[in-house]
Amino acid sequence: MRTVRSKLLIALLLAPAVLISMVMIAAIATTLGISFLRQFPGDLQVTLANYIAFLSQPFLLKAAYQTMALGLVVTAICVVLGYPVAWFLVKRDTRFRNAVFLIVLAPLLVSIVVRTVGWIIILGNEGLVNALLISLGVIDSSLQLMRSFWTVVVGLVHVLLPFMILSIASVLSKIDDDVIEAAMLLGARPATAFLKITLPMSMQGVAAGSIIVFALTIGTYLTPIWLGRGNVNVLAISIHEQALISVEWSAAATSAVLLTIMALVFMAIFLASIRRMTRR
Amino acid sequence: MRSRARPRYLDAFVAAIVVFLLAPIVVVLPSAFSSDVALSFPPQGFSTRWFENLLSRGEFLSAARLSVTVAILATAISLIVGLLAAYALFRFDFWGRSALEALFMTPLVFPAIALALSLAMVMSTAGLLRDFWGLLIAHVLITMPYAIRTIGASLREISIAIEDAALTLGARPAQLFWYVMLPLLRPGIAAGAIFSFIISMDEFTVSLFLTGPGLTTLPIEIFNYAEFNSDPTIASISVILILISCIAVATIERLMGLRRVLS
Repeated sequence: MRTVRSKLLIALLLAPAVLISMVMIAAIATTLGISFLRQFPGDLQVTLANYIAFLSQPFLLKAAYQTMALGLVVTAICVVLGYPVAWFLVKRDTRFRNAVFLIVLAPLLVSIVVRTVGWIIILGNEGLVNALLISLGVIDSSLQLMRSFWTVVVGLVHVLLPFMILSIASVLSKIDDDVIEAAMLLGARPATAFLKITLPMSMQGVAAGSIIVFALTIGTYLTPIWLGRGNVNVLAISIHEQALISVEWSAAATSAVLLTIMALVFMAIFLASIRRMTRR
Repeated sequence: MRSRARPRYLDAFVAAIVVFLLAPIVVVLPSAFSSDVALSFPPQGFSTRWFENLLSRGEFLSAARLSVTVAILATAISLIVGLLAAYALFRFDFWGRSALEALFMTPLVFPAIALALSLAMVMSTAGLLRDFWGLLIAHVLITMPYAIRTIGASLREISIAIEDAALTLGARPAQLFWYVMLPLLRPGIAAGAIFSFIISMDEFTVSLFLTGPGLTTLPIEIFNYAEFNSDPTIASISVILILISCIAVATIERLMGLRRVLS
């Protein structure tokens, strides 16, 4: 009797949240469905034509390649920059630790629009970096710092680095210091202890962070459009164009499905390699 | 010798990252008060004309009104739904528990552009595309994970023994909820409210697909304005948004610590 009642209670408590999540599931299912329709709304014939069309358009293939490259580069940079910061936050005992934690986390609560405006002010033709370099006499006329792949990388790393730091820090904080100490007592040098114990043990955090950062990078529209200014054509921009400008819902759905598959494949590869590493 | 030198490199590195993280936020402040017609640095002169421009433009005010309305409603719904779900997730063990938790967190990690397009498509089949209610449902979906997380984080710190004690002393479940759990959860609920509100106010990609003429949220209005203008108006609106974010960060930090909410 008790278990039946508590099962009913659990179901009732979860029902509203499940209902809202169903909207998301219905949305994803709709997109998947529409990607197989010749032209929605209108010609509802089931076909693979949209996928074939995607693969035969060099413009879209290039966008897919740029998207993947952007995702991989941003993720790699976030790991390299984020790991030491996470280490600092967990292991370094200073009075600045809380302040640094707050500064790392606070940008998550500042609008991406605002942060991108900031990068325009810093990297624009009349921006901070150019003004600084000209006044120092390093250059005579403004450098073109905007409209490039690397500008977009900078903007995205800024937006996504906090996720990577959080992810690595949460795993690092679970590693028992005694294990490291034991290794050192047994004669391991600090570098060896780090490479053989801490790094492998913290890979789970790196993996989780990488999966999040990659998925969020390839799904971002604002940074490539504002900082790339037409020179960095990623799938997010194609999807926006297909859906809202040329209103080709089926083509947009196809691009979105392929984008999502890209994120899932990346996740699968990362999870598999982590499993392999931890087994060893 | 080596172990003493290393923290210094580490500290310098972390300091550089701190500068990197703060730079684009700090640099907006002086630019907003520039009297120059272009968004440049260093700003020329001092003026508040861009703030005046902001206030004289009806579209920013109506976009702000819509954003606040959606954010308040989405937050209220997310908190109620999130409170119930968090209680089930973090107080009971049942089949499919972790799968459900993952499902609720999916909007956080799903590529935003794909989620935005998908929501636009399902809303269009339901007749809710570019509709207030469609926008609100999407914002509830996006803010709910934050509500579940913050409330869950404070729920985990409340000993289950307290609940047992109340029940043993004769409290009915409803009384347990009103007189024991709700007061204890208040900081978590408040932090979750601020978080949801800010996330909804700042939401960009999904709103881009679900809004339209006559239904524009503030981030979308800023985006549209910047398409055709490059004056410091967008810096001045950014300053206002940064101030709101600062208040939010400070309040969450005092209520339960930003770190505890996020990790």
